[in-house]
Amino acid sequence: MNRSSEWGWWGFGALVVVFMTTPLILVVLFSFGESALTNFPMGGITWKWYDELFANREFWKAFRNSLTIAGVVVVVSTVIGTMAALTLARMRPTLSQPLLIALCLPVMMPPLVIAIALLVYYVRWVGVELSLFTVILGHLLVTQPFVILIVYARMATFNYELIDSARDLGANSWVTFLTVTLPIIRSTVIGAGLIALAVSLDEFLITFFTISGGNTLPTFVFGKIRTEMDPTINAIATILLVLTVSSTIIAMKVSRYRA
Amino acid sequence: MRELIKSWKTVPSLAVLAGLFVAPLSLLFVVSFWSKKLFRVVPDFVFDGYQKALVSYWDVGLNTLAIAISTGIITTTIAFFFAFFIRFKAGRYGDILLFISLVTLFGGYLVKIYAWKSILGLEGILNTALVGLGIVSEPLGALLYNRGSVATALTHFLLPIAVLPIVASMRNIQDITLEAGRDLGAGPVRILLGVVLPQCRAGIIAAFAFSFLIAAGDYITPLFLGGTDGAMIGMFIASQFSIRFDWPLGSAMAFLTMFSCLTVVLIARLAIVRGRK
Repeated sequence: MNRSSEWGWWGFGALVVVFMTTPLILVVLFSFGESALTNFPMGGITWKWYDELFANREFWKAFRNSLTIAGVVVVVSTVIGTMAALTLARMRPTLSQPLLIALCLPVMMPPLVIAIALLVYYVRWVGVELSLFTVILGHLLVTQPFVILIVYARMATFNYELIDSARDLGANSWVTFLTVTLPIIRSTVIGAGLIALAVSLDEFLITFFTISGGNTLPTFVFGKIRTEMDPTINAIATILLVLTVSSTIIAMKVSRYRA
Repeated sequence: MRELIKSWKTVPSLAVLAGLFVAPLSLLFVVSFWSKKLFRVVPDFVFDGYQKALVSYWDVGLNTLAIAISTGIITTTIAFFFAFFIRFKAGRYGDILLFISLVTLFGGYLVKIYAWKSILGLEGILNTALVGLGIVSEPLGALLYNRGSVATALTHFLLPIAVLPIVASMRNIQDITLEAGRDLGAGPVRILLGVVLPQCRAGIIAAFAFSFLIAAGDYITPLFLGGTDGAMIGMFIASQFSIRFDWPLGSAMAFLTMFSCLTVVLIARLAIVRGRK
């Protein structure tokens, strides 16, 4: 009886893992399949969909836009998010908790609502031209909560006596930050930046509504799914997947981040 | 006050929040009371948007709530058992399973939708397998473009998000309370529902709230997988901004949806907390 319920649990666990991973594995698998249909039999192994994709100039434009946006977003978001988290961590809880919740509200809202709100705001109120810049601003809003939460969580176990000693020995706050605080929390900050990278690379709705012309990788994929289900989608989806998943994995490795 | 002055380092983040979240949402709320005259949207104070939204889109709204609530319940239930497995049964493999959940969390929102489209399609992988194994003679058209396909893809997308808060709240449960239950003669079901469940209510509420809210606000999943049967309100909100340019109506729909969703979350919270008795 006990033995069979044990087996039942393992069967259930395996089923959930299969459910979570199979769709993603299939996409990667078929990106190397000879057959133009995303179906078995997939035929021999081939690089032709990647060759076709790499010959497409639109793909490279989208790729460059994605990297430009993500590059700026990661740097700015990590800097301002870390600054905020370090300060919040030293505040009274009655002050820091409401601020923390407020700063995280943007990721609890439907992205569609943020996207249309930003669109109306840019067009009707600010009067700014839609461009990569407006996309970057939107991405800052939805990446900084992740940076803040991760760094804030790390500071819960930070030994503040180290900072006090540095200050007692005459270091100013900048020197203390650069020589004491930052080296200790460096891996957490890098991890937070990589999560911001994954979120930015994968962000679709805000980008879609505030980019006007041009594409990023997700909007490029969107266009392809909508018009023709051509087999290069598997290849580009795999590239997108490798980018976001590898930054998540590295992030968790370096920061040993726990939920 | 001195604490506030010292906290200038939070200013950039708060500026991003104020300038790109509070201000745009406030404007959107104001716009929901504007009126649409021919092809222009003009400042006004009327309830046309709300009236149109309630009259023309109440059925899509209810469909959205139905899909989102069932997705939320299914996702939270699977997540609860999976979290229990990770925390109490999987031993040293628990961390690996959690790691897999986290990895799939950030991996490709659109990629997942596309994957489900190719799995469930008429010439998709599942149909080919079913026909190949002789389980059905004709490919099933009913796998795609309905509520079920939307709920399946959403559950797949939301499961990692729901697992995390429940695992986090289960970390605080001491093994000894389970043993105590067992020693007092409680069966496995009794322990699960009577000992574990009450101790991780906060995680369950968070998991349901997250998965329900994200499901209700999603629009790409129903757009690609929903057909007419699985249509959801997000698609119609988006089209007011991309094709029809009826901003007041779109904004009113967005705020009505958020208001209804908040009500559902509060009711669910009440139900779960009340379950204590």
